[in-house]
Amino acid sequence: MNVRVMNAAVAKTVAPDKPAAAAPAHIAATGLAVDFPLEGRKQRVLNDINIAVPKGSFVSLIGPSGCGKSTLLKVMAGLVTPSEGTMTVAGLSPQEAVNARLIGLVFQEATLLPWKNAIENAAFLLMTADETIKKSEAFDRAAAMLKLVGLDGAEKKSPSQLSGGMRQRVAIARALALDPEVLLMDEPFGALDAITREEMSECLLDIWERTNKTIVLVTHSIDEAVFLSREVHVMGTGPARIIETLPITVPHPRTEESYSDPAFTAAENRLRSLLIESHKKGRR
Amino acid sequence: MTDMTAGSPAASWASHRFWRGLYNVLPALALSVGVVVVWEAVIRLFKVPTFVLPAPTAIVESLIANWGSLAFAAQATALEVLFGFVLSAVVGVLVALVIVRFERFGRALYPLIVLFQNVPKVALAPIFILWFGYGLAPKILLIVVIAFFPVAIDMLAGLQSVEPSFVSLMRSVGASKSKIMLRVRIPHSLPHLMAGLKVAITFSVIGAIVGEFAGANQGLGYVIQFASTQLDTPLIFAALIVVSVLGLAFYYIVEFAERWLVPWAPKFDPIHSAG
Ligand SMILES: Nc1ncnc2c1ncn2[C@@H]1O[C@H](COP(=O)(O)OP(=O)(O)OP(=O)(O)O)[C@@H](O)[C@H]1O
Ligand SMILES: [Mg+2]
Repeated sequence: MNVRVMNAAVAKTVAPDKPAAAAPAHIAATGLAVDFPLEGRKQRVLNDINIAVPKGSFVSLIGPSGCGKSTLLKVMAGLVTPSEGTMTVAGLSPQEAVNARLIGLVFQEATLLPWKNAIENAAFLLMTADETIKKSEAFDRAAAMLKLVGLDGAEKKSPSQLSGGMRQRVAIARALALDPEVLLMDEPFGALDAITREEMSECLLDIWERTNKTIVLVTHSIDEAVFLSREVHVMGTGPARIIETLPITVPHPRTEESYSDPAFTAAENRLRSLLIESHKKGRR
Repeated sequence: MTDMTAGSPAASWASHRFWRGLYNVLPALALSVGVVVVWEAVIRLFKVPTFVLPAPTAIVESLIANWGSLAFAAQATALEVLFGFVLSAVVGVLVALVIVRFERFGRALYPLIVLFQNVPKVALAPIFILWFGYGLAPKILLIVVIAFFPVAIDMLAGLQSVEPSFVSLMRSVGASKSKIMLRVRIPHSLPHLMAGLKVAITFSVIGAIVGEFAGANQGLGYVIQFASTQLDTPLIFAALIVVSVLGLAFYYIVEFAERWLVPWAPKFDPIHSAG
């Protein structure tokens, strides 16, 4: 397969503090295209997407609204079948990866079950995925994940008693409880206020450093993308493709000081001008 | 309001709730008393004949005098309502589940159900009597035909109200359609279902009375029909009161069940909408 070839290409661009050449592409798309039916015709939403995410990396997808970021994430999660090209997750097709429970999902809305409390919600998907797991075991794992996202003590609270940020933490804990290799997040902090967003970013970074999962994040926030990622893929519209892949060289571990790092500002500016450009193209 | 919760918390909470409950029913109570007093006064003042419109006191007299037969009739009606309502609920839920689970069949079935909903159900009562006689069966059938619709429609809305991202989440762990149905869609639909059941229970009472009008030898509808042939208007009104109380009792049983079954559902206050 040409995955190997792509890995070599990735090795040049990826952040240098990990031996990237040795890391195989954990998520790889080649020549990927997606058509959606629109008024009886086919509308091409994604076109010729090539992407390679190394194992244990953190990458962001950024781009104008409606360009197909969520769709690309859904292809990775096996929720949308590509019309052309291939997508592999850990060497498997997305559907096989789903069956092997390699994928965790987090959306903009926490979508908690209102009749279950925090820990029941955090254990819910795990218990759905694995019918044989003992309830106590599932709850232990859920409790550990709630602790990881900073929600210890709130296990018994119902979703209506939790703030937006706390609900989103439960949603992240729910995905982590599956112990997936890949965490796919679609604007997970999109509905939160600026300060809570930053808090959540730090929390997510902490989780990533500890668990070493492969994370793909869709976001509209340039700050967030730069702060969290090793690589940012900028997408353009009509139909969407990846217009640039920007390695983020801000050194790890990243803290609040990272925001004023020269590499941070440089990446931020580059992303801003790329986004403005693709916005202008989108309007035409 | 917070100052009332000071002191012994349990006791003050109880009295707080009691007074607030009283405060809530007080306006309705005052209004009813006012209406009854004016009604009585008008009847006496203008000497309205009893068979046209009886005074409240005459109605109460009739209620007391005919208590035995009214209670017996209420029992018969209650039985019809109960069976009819339960069957309506079952049919309504099944229809909704079938429409959602078997999409293609649902697309065929749904317009037919809506079409059928536009047939005046009351007109079916004589046919059911013709087919099934004077017993319980035609009443139950009439109730089901009238009351399954709100159950089916609300349940359907509930099943479809699940956020798409939740379905995606379930699919991302390989959950089958039936599993998503069982674990997410059905529980999500329960608050909607309860709203449908509240409509269905009032329709069930109407259905029972109409069924008895069309042909019966017992029940409150039968009492009303019989009293009207005798020009016994006070008895008609007395029976109406019993019907209302019966309907109200059934309604509150369903509402109680709602609080018990779906405590997470948002509380419904018909006067103040969003607080
Ligand atoms: N199920 C669907 N059927 C038809 N068209 C769809 C479907 N889902 C998405 N689309 C279309 O595909 C395009 C990309 O949608 P997508 O949700 O992936 O964009 P996005 O980049 O995530 O946007 P946003 O930033 O607003 O979330 C849009 O034009 C949208 O209208
Ligand atoms: Mg999106």
